[in-house]
Amino acid sequence: MTVDIYWRIHMEGDQPSLRRRVRSRGGFAPGGTAPGARDGQDDGYSHADYMAEVAGAAEESGFVGGLLPNFPHTDDPWAAAATLARETTSYRFMVAFQPGFLHPVQAARMTATLQRATGGRIVYNVISGGGGPAQLWWGDKVEHDDRYARTSEFLDVLKGVWHGSHTHHGRFYRVENAGLPEELAGQPFPEIFLSGSSPAAIDAAGRHADHYLSWLEPFEALAEKFDAVRAHSATPPRFAVRVDLLARESEEEAWAEIEAGWRARPRGSGAQEGDSVGVRRSRAFLADAGDDPRALEVAPNVWGGFSQLRDGPAFGLVGDYHQVAERLDQLLDLGVDAFILAGIPHLEEARRVGRHVLPLLKGRTS
Amino acid sequence: MTTRSTARFHVVLPTRSPAPAALPPFVTDVRPALADSAGRAAVAADLSGWAGALVPFDPDGQESLTVAAGVLRRTRHLRVAAEFHPAVATPVYAAKLSASLQRFAAGRLGWRLAVDLDPAVARAQGDFLTGAARLARADEFLTVAKGVWRGGPFDFRGDFYEVVKGGFGAPLSSSPFPEVHLSGTSPEALELSRRHADVHVFSAGDDLAALIPELPGLRHGVHLPSIDAAGEYAALGVTEFFLRTDDVYRLGEHLKERAVDR
Repeated sequence: MTVDIYWRIHMEGDQPSLRRRVRSRGGFAPGGTAPGARDGQDDGYSHADYMAEVAGAAEESGFVGGLLPNFPHTDDPWAAAATLARETTSYRFMVAFQPGFLHPVQAARMTATLQRATGGRIVYNVISGGGGPAQLWWGDKVEHDDRYARTSEFLDVLKGVWHGSHTHHGRFYRVENAGLPEELAGQPFPEIFLSGSSPAAIDAAGRHADHYLSWLEPFEALAEKFDAVRAHSATPPRFAVRVDLLARESEEEAWAEIEAGWRARPRGSGAQEGDSVGVRRSRAFLADAGDDPRALEVAPNVWGGFSQLRDGPAFGLVGDYHQVAERLDQLLDLGVDAFILAGIPHLEEARRVGRHVLPLLKGRTS
Repeated sequence: MTTRSTARFHVVLPTRSPAPAALPPFVTDVRPALADSAGRAAVAADLSGWAGALVPFDPDGQESLTVAAGVLRRTRHLRVAAEFHPAVATPVYAAKLSASLQRFAAGRLGWRLAVDLDPAVARAQGDFLTGAARLARADEFLTVAKGVWRGGPFDFRGDFYEVVKGGFGAPLSSSPFPEVHLSGTSPEALELSRRHADVHVFSAGDDLAALIPELPGLRHGVHLPSIDAAGEYAALGVTEFFLRTDDVYRLGEHLKERAVDR
């Protein structure tokens, strides 16, 4: 079985490097590009134009598509996928969303419309929610464990509607004779990537996920997590890991980049509220690193300081091209079936990783 | 300045795909599998000078916000309104998705809210609300969507929605809120329009002479089967004309010529 390798797309705007935490690409910081200014006037470009370049680079560099994440401060992945659908040819749009955002009938209709426009290139990253203040920001009052019950019901209704006339009277949703019209019927149902580190999440993943998606954690912790999912699933899902890479020709060059970013990082950021078990797990791995970023290298090339240098999870891989490829091979040996890779800036690093890292992968040894 | 000179024409885009013609077997057939009839019609409208387009809510067709996103990407000037009903999404999410579309398309998106639906259609969409509550929900939906769009912190507790410390930051809050189109002739529908609409859209045959004075400060639109009657409605104060046509490009040219003749 082949391994699907995705490349993340930055819905929050992109940084030109890890050395300066400014998201100047995509209109999230003044004075940036796409949109930008030309002779003092708006240049007529938008974030969608830059994202189209990243999607194109990913497509040409060996990635099957990209994860489009979704947070209060970011652009919206449904909007981005629908905007870029016809500008790509093989790119799969992994759209992140929470079941609380959309009614399942609407989700089915939007998805089928996109499947039609793309020839079946939509993939789901279903998020049950980080909880706490952010959930109420979205206008969602459902409690943590209930949100996973809702996710299960949401996917049941969505699948029911997708495959025919469906009537359902449940705890969260009601529909009567709901189905897709002929114009939208018969499209492939998207693959589902489910995330979540809590027992409720793992239980939902066991029932619905094609892929159980985790952030990178120290490899032993990741292996335990996969074991827990296997133990809770009648048919174990495939496993996917989201990994940031900083890969360079030499190891010294790679760490020099980290050190420069570390010196320039804004202090005291990165605190997140909410009931996300994933966030708590990540923090628990990391002691205070002080001034030496290498103190966060919990295992060779596994570095836990990325969240200090850009938005997103803590762990990623740092090293030369061979080292990074070797760690990815080790993850395959742990049972990983799919990767969502990322690097800053997303445009140039997609090409770099496609040219220098992916060709070195050897695949599973066991 | 006459009312006629401000007439704006909007094409109602197709949401279903015509079956491809059956070519004789000896004709080499390399037609692409993925047709985009709404996108083609929208580009024709943009090239030939139409002011706008409407992607209708069509339970038997493609989903309107998704189609609108593709149409906005393919066009430069056309204003594109997507019609949907409030049960499709939370108002926060509808606003969030739309904020990105506005950013990607320089503020050309509009919202047509379908408040009244046939009850069987509504239940098939997962929407069991009936009667006056539908207008009350639409009111809350627009209040919350506009509230979060303006920035935060935004708090709201209503019969249908609740938001705590909500509201978009820059740059999502920087684009204009989508132009809101509403319709209906009941006193409650007119009241909703007074509170929220930029454009109130009538059907041909509504008593516009009586209704338009009840909606001061709004623009008024009408759906017409052909442009022949446009002059008569323009005289009543209608400025937005919605037409369904297969002949988008030629009609656009014709409308341009008419404008020049004046």
